[in-house]
Amino acid sequence: MSSESSRYGVEPGDYIGRRLPRVEDARMVRGEGHYVADLRVEGCLEAAFVRSSLAHGRLRGVRLDEARAVPGVVGVWSAHELPELPAAQPLFPAEVLEGRDWPSLATDRVRFAGQTVAVVVAENRYTAEDGADAVDVEVKELPAVLDPTKATTADAPELFEGLSNVVGEWGTGEDIGEDFWKNAPVVVEASYRQPPLAPTSIEGRAFLARPEEDGGLTVWCSHQAPHRLRRDLSSVFEIPQQKVRVVVPDVGGAFGGKSETFPEYLVVAYLALRLGRPVRWVEDRAEALAGATHGRGQNQRVRLAADRDGRMLALAVEVDASTGAYPHYGFAPLFNMLRLLAGVYKTPRIYARVRAVVTNTTPTAPYRGAGRPEAAYAVERTVDLLARRLDLDPAEIRRRNLIPPEALPYETPTGALYDSGDYPTALDKALEAADYESWRAEQRRRLESGDGSLLGIGISCYVESAGVMEEYGAVEARADGSFLALSGASSTGQGHEITFAQVVASALGVDVERVRVVEADTDAVPRGVGSFASRSMQVGGAALHRAALGLVEEARRRTANFFGISVEEVGYREGMLFAGSEELSLPELVERTGPLRVEDVFDPPQAFPYGCYVAVVEVDPELGNVRVLRLVAVDDCGLVINPMVVEGQAYGSIMQGLGQALYEEVPYDAAGRHLLDYGLLDYLLPTFSELPPVRLEEMETPNPNTPLGAKGVGESGCIGVPPAVVNAVADALGHPADLQMPLTPETCWTALCDRSAARSAEVRP
Amino acid sequence: MKIELEVNGKKRELNIEPRRTLADALREDLGLTGTHLGCEHGVCGACTVILDGKAVRSCLMFAAQCGGREVRTVESLAADDGTPHPLQAAFVAEHGLQCGFCTPGFLMLVTAALEGDPDIVEDEERLRELLTSNLCRCTGYEGIRRAVVRAAGDMKAFS
Ligand code: FES
Ligand code: FES
Repeated sequence: MSSESSRYGVEPGDYIGRRLPRVEDARMVRGEGHYVADLRVEGCLEAAFVRSSLAHGRLRGVRLDEARAVPGVVGVWSAHELPELPAAQPLFPAEVLEGRDWPSLATDRVRFAGQTVAVVVAENRYTAEDGADAVDVEVKELPAVLDPTKATTADAPELFEGLSNVVGEWGTGEDIGEDFWKNAPVVVEASYRQPPLAPTSIEGRAFLARPEEDGGLTVWCSHQAPHRLRRDLSSVFEIPQQKVRVVVPDVGGAFGGKSETFPEYLVVAYLALRLGRPVRWVEDRAEALAGATHGRGQNQRVRLAADRDGRMLALAVEVDASTGAYPHYGFAPLFNMLRLLAGVYKTPRIYARVRAVVTNTTPTAPYRGAGRPEAAYAVERTVDLLARRLDLDPAEIRRRNLIPPEALPYETPTGALYDSGDYPTALDKALEAADYESWRAEQRRRLESGDGSLLGIGISCYVESAGVMEEYGAVEARADGSFLALSGASSTGQGHEITFAQVVASALGVDVERVRVVEADTDAVPRGVGSFASRSMQVGGAALHRAALGLVEEARRRTANFFGISVEEVGYREGMLFAGSEELSLPELVERTGPLRVEDVFDPPQAFPYGCYVAVVEVDPELGNVRVLRLVAVDDCGLVINPMVVEGQAYGSIMQGLGQALYEEVPYDAAGRHLLDYGLLDYLLPTFSELPPVRLEEMETPNPNTPLGAKGVGESGCIGVPPAVVNAVADALGHPADLQMPLTPETCWTALCDRSAARSAEVRP
Repeated sequence: MKIELEVNGKKRELNIEPRRTLADALREDLGLTGTHLGCEHGVCGACTVILDGKAVRSCLMFAAQCGGREVRTVESLAADDGTPHPLQAAFVAEHGLQCGFCTPGFLMLVTAALEGDPDIVEDEERLRELLTSNLCRCTGYEGIRRAVVRAAGDMKAFS
């Protein structure tokens, strides 16, 4: 088997670090991918939701008669008609939900614009939407509160009667105390706003439920965590887990926004069971922008103390984080944020508090980065402030504070255990790749020439936490010579069908084309956690790697039994077993001894990928436009299985980070309505025109905590880019006091006007 | 209402509501689900098909506007024997897709452009304009750009 030539021109077993093309591409480029909206299920009805247009109010009445009269409409319901409808499920159980139910259709109150109020089921989507248009919702408007800090004040409207808007408060470290701050040689302070962002996978959410004759339920869903969805559906509908099957077909992007057990899913599943017919819901773009989930959404106050040489002494961070109207998902990213507040620095004292606050906005949830970008931004923006205060180069101040490689593994005051890496080298590499010194020289030259052009350079060093919880992996050798690699992860575009196959084929020393990856179907894979938190390769790939090595051991044991010799006498190489003069291939072994599958459940510690980003920008002095002239990304994500895929993740997350820094924000009016009437013309995703010249540089320090050595990739750009770009723009604009993302032309232009106003004020006597 | 149009080289008859979009007619009535819907308001370009040689947003057209006209979808790109179109092959080789949802739209957008003028890739500004037509949230566009440049070269070499 080993001598067969591979389509990829690579020796079998030698697939780590290879740019193999992806298996899934073959169907996708032909239009033969299957997303939930593409499925044809006999007799399937379509659902459309009626949503609240107001952000806060008492639900007075929902009139359904007219909608019921629309030909082709099968049924129309509000919460009133469905008293047994289960409520939305949290990401994981938590006290913050106490008394704060999220009814899947609003009962007596609406708490955000976009909240589901009624549902129409019809023969097709056109008719369902006709029905939805004919539903009349009467709401008595209540004052809305949108800002999480304002929502904590005494006169803020109360979202849940008799309960505080602050749903939870967590912290890390010991309070530093005012005396310390008063006596510290240098203290800088700043406030940052992390605007709410819409994840905006190009495929929205989609869910199809089919009741089965045995009382079970089959669900097709564009989802990141099929086994969790199965567990939730099983528990709310009281159907045993073996009778609930969740299948995740191709997924058109997720970025954290498809991890949850949403109210819409529960409504559709409930109605499918009740009607005894399959029902599907395919989200439209307006719903995706307003009614799904948003990421980020917090106010940060940061204080940083240092000695006169710029050595950081203490960091304090206070955060008010909006969970949106229901706290079911939005508290989850906060723990990532708290854990990462040390950044890559040896700051000895860190104290942070975060309050999770309900507001009348779309519920927040993990979004690519999920707390990591928030932490990196708070730290990296403030480090720049310190550099400026001390008149030190931003690169130099970082150098003075970086955790040295010999200190790793390093436990931060926030309880993170950084495993391995070399932060100073990442910084040096990034500076070199960016040609940092020449840009600084160019900046000085332009300042001296007084030509008015505004050039800025920004740096950010980051460390992130990848992976959380265990993952399931199994490898099976089959009699036909193929191998199955079963994983509890669930690809949403990452390319598991090739990268997991590379891991397994390499561990077994077999042809990669013989390995078929099976995932995203709870009937085919007995357990699993899913794909989020950069965990697919770090945890899921590592579990498969162990299972493959376990399979070799099991094969040797069986061979030993078969020939009546000891295990030590059995050798294994490239799919062949050697016992003295006897040889046996894996398929032969399977034929003689029965099915051969080895399972593994692996729960390694979190890994800590890190890196450094440098951005060079130019700001148009008249229009406020930001142009990114250069973006350098140095990432160390541990062992790289497929560099092509890793680079793809880097580019994708860099563009999303750029979106956050410069363009994206979900705008609300004062009453809490989304200002997104023109959909994706109002919510600006970066296009090809916004792709700056990017240079990627890699470092590769294997993860010491898994035999495979991967650390996780996919979120780095979202973490590293925003502070690098904003630091660069701030540098170009002369560090205006209150520069907040997104740095739209208007924001920059206003900052420029303020600066010239301040200047002319200085000039006047 | 009844219309007749040519889809991927075959005459098709449709009996449709006047308000049915071309995208829905292709996907639902003709089963050509390779054409995707990402926004249904003309911004993302996932629904791009070729109508009488020009790339159009099929979510912004009514099927009723397409009577007597020729439509090509992503399903028509590969040769009859299954050989991928050079652009399809280039998207695979250059990692021009991740989730694949925007891919059919980009493929049809670029196919129409390269058929119109393969030199479009030589002109950075025109290439930029072209690729700015559609949205991709996964790839950061770099793989797409490389794929298009590669395909243009391959197509020239072939012709
Ligand atoms: S679906 Fe037609 S442009 Fe987005
Ligand atoms: S590959 Fe996912 S949107 Fe383009």
